[in-house]
Amino acid sequence: MRRLVVALVASLVWAGAAQAQGPRVEPPSAGLPPSVPAESTTPDLIVDLSRARVSITSAFQGESILMFGMFDPPGEVVVVVVGPEARETVLRKQRFLGLWLNTGRQSFDDVPAYYAIAASQPLQRLLARGAGGEILSLEDRMSTVKPVGSRAAAELASFRGGLVEVKRREGLYPAAIGQVTVQAGRLFRVDLPFPSRLPEGVYEVKAYLLREGKIVAAVSRPLPVGKVGFSAQLAGWASHDGALYGLGAIVMALFAGWLGGAIMRRL
Amino acid sequence: MEIYLPIAEQSMNVFVLLGLGAAAGLLAGMFGVGGGFLATPLLIFVGIPPAVAVASQANQVIANSVSSLQVHWRRGNVDLRMGLVLLLGGMVGSSAGVWLFTYLKRIGQIDFVIAVLYVVMLSTIGLLMLTESLSTYLKRRRNPESPRGKLHTHYLVHRLPLKLRFYKSKLYISALLPVGLGFLIGILSAILGVGGGFVLVPAMIYLLGMPTAVVIGTSNFQILFVAANVTFLQATTNGTVDVVLALLLILGGVVGAPIGSRLAAKLPGVVLRGLMSVLILAVAAELLVELLRTPASPFSLGTREVSP
Repeated sequence: MRRLVVALVASLVWAGAAQAQGPRVEPPSAGLPPSVPAESTTPDLIVDLSRARVSITSAFQGESILMFGMFDPPGEVVVVVVGPEARETVLRKQRFLGLWLNTGRQSFDDVPAYYAIAASQPLQRLLARGAGGEILSLEDRMSTVKPVGSRAAAELASFRGGLVEVKRREGLYPAAIGQVTVQAGRLFRVDLPFPSRLPEGVYEVKAYLLREGKIVAAVSRPLPVGKVGFSAQLAGWASHDGALYGLGAIVMALFAGWLGGAIMRRL
Repeated sequence: MEIYLPIAEQSMNVFVLLGLGAAAGLLAGMFGVGGGFLATPLLIFVGIPPAVAVASQANQVIANSVSSLQVHWRRGNVDLRMGLVLLLGGMVGSSAGVWLFTYLKRIGQIDFVIAVLYVVMLSTIGLLMLTESLSTYLKRRRNPESPRGKLHTHYLVHRLPLKLRFYKSKLYISALLPVGLGFLIGILSAILGVGGGFVLVPAMIYLLGMPTAVVIGTSNFQILFVAANVTFLQATTNGTVDVVLALLLILGGVVGAPIGSRLAAKLPGVVLRGLMSVLILAVAAELLVELLRTPASPFSLGTREVSP
């Protein structure tokens, strides 16, 4: 955090100096820590998140997390958010005797729970310039999920498309590429939207600095997503000790029903 | 106002859930049967995963039946012996039902089976009620002083072995019949998240020939324990009981039930049954349309499995 503040101050001074004297100027070196070098070999990319974690409380309705930071210009910023990987099973409905029911299923391993990309320029343009290799568009990422068992390629593609479709509907694979907003040529910010039905786990938020289609710097931040407080306690209880949870649920209902009945008769 | 449901893993409007509970409570107050058979499809309509809707609804049924049982127990309207015999079948049936539920969930067919069972059951009951209330209404208009029929008629079922005497119900019938009935209701209870009163009550009156006065109390006795069994088994095997959801439904029900019983006192029974049958048929039709209509997307996801 301190490093960021220092960097921001430095950037303001630098921007002021740049306005007065033209584009390529050495920033004043006096009093600056070595972490913000005047002419660095690896360009700097500093990021932070508005929240250290996504807390699923009883009032959780989805959340928007802000990622912001600073980079050494020139360059473009791409941010990729990846949720924890797991096996997902896609079910496909077909009409059978007039009724729609699930007739096909296909599991995939290594499917990210969440996948979002944001960029400061249209992504195709950035990636078309031979960028990344490491930065995968959603389509590229999904082509790497491993199908369980073997099946005809066309069928697999259909199920894979279905997987993306459902995830998109749930807001877990945002369809649009998010917009990274750049200010003063070196400060950037991007809103990362998380829906209310959010799988738990440690997400990874990764920011890349691209110059002429090449990654010149990358910073990664873990973003834990988890239930907290009352809902965490209940969910933990339900998954670790189902019997106790079941008994608790029964006692709760017995008491509530008895109390409700008693109140009802007074009215 | 939104609230996050920890087991359903989604947020939902509190007032929608309270309203659903109140609607179910209204029906419970009006007809003396739990409103589960309407509340569960409605929960599914608003987007709760069917598996969670069913299991949490079973949790709600406990509260519903205990408050109804309080009243009937005090009035001595519970045939304990009949209740226990029903329960014997009910416990076995509901345990088998949860097992079946788990199996169907694993092969990805639970949503379909729930919808189909609801369509079949609701349309059957709705039609029966509608024709019954219409014919009663017409008969009464023609002949308001129609004589009462026999207490009950004798069928083949009275010749089955293992006969037991049920004093309170003034019956001497085979225990196999209530055991079998309890078994079937238990299965329904587990798969559909209902108490099953709307099937059990008519079956007790028309099939077993029990006097109407003890039917509601006795059915609530059996439903209470079956619902508790379903809640416990769903919590331990599927982990789909959402107590926050159940509690909201219960709270709504507490408000709805007295309104329902007050309405029931004002409106004639025939009109009530007619209205209820229309409501049941409407829900059945909506579920059927969902099954027949080409879905917006043929794809859905099964359970997410985090690899070890």
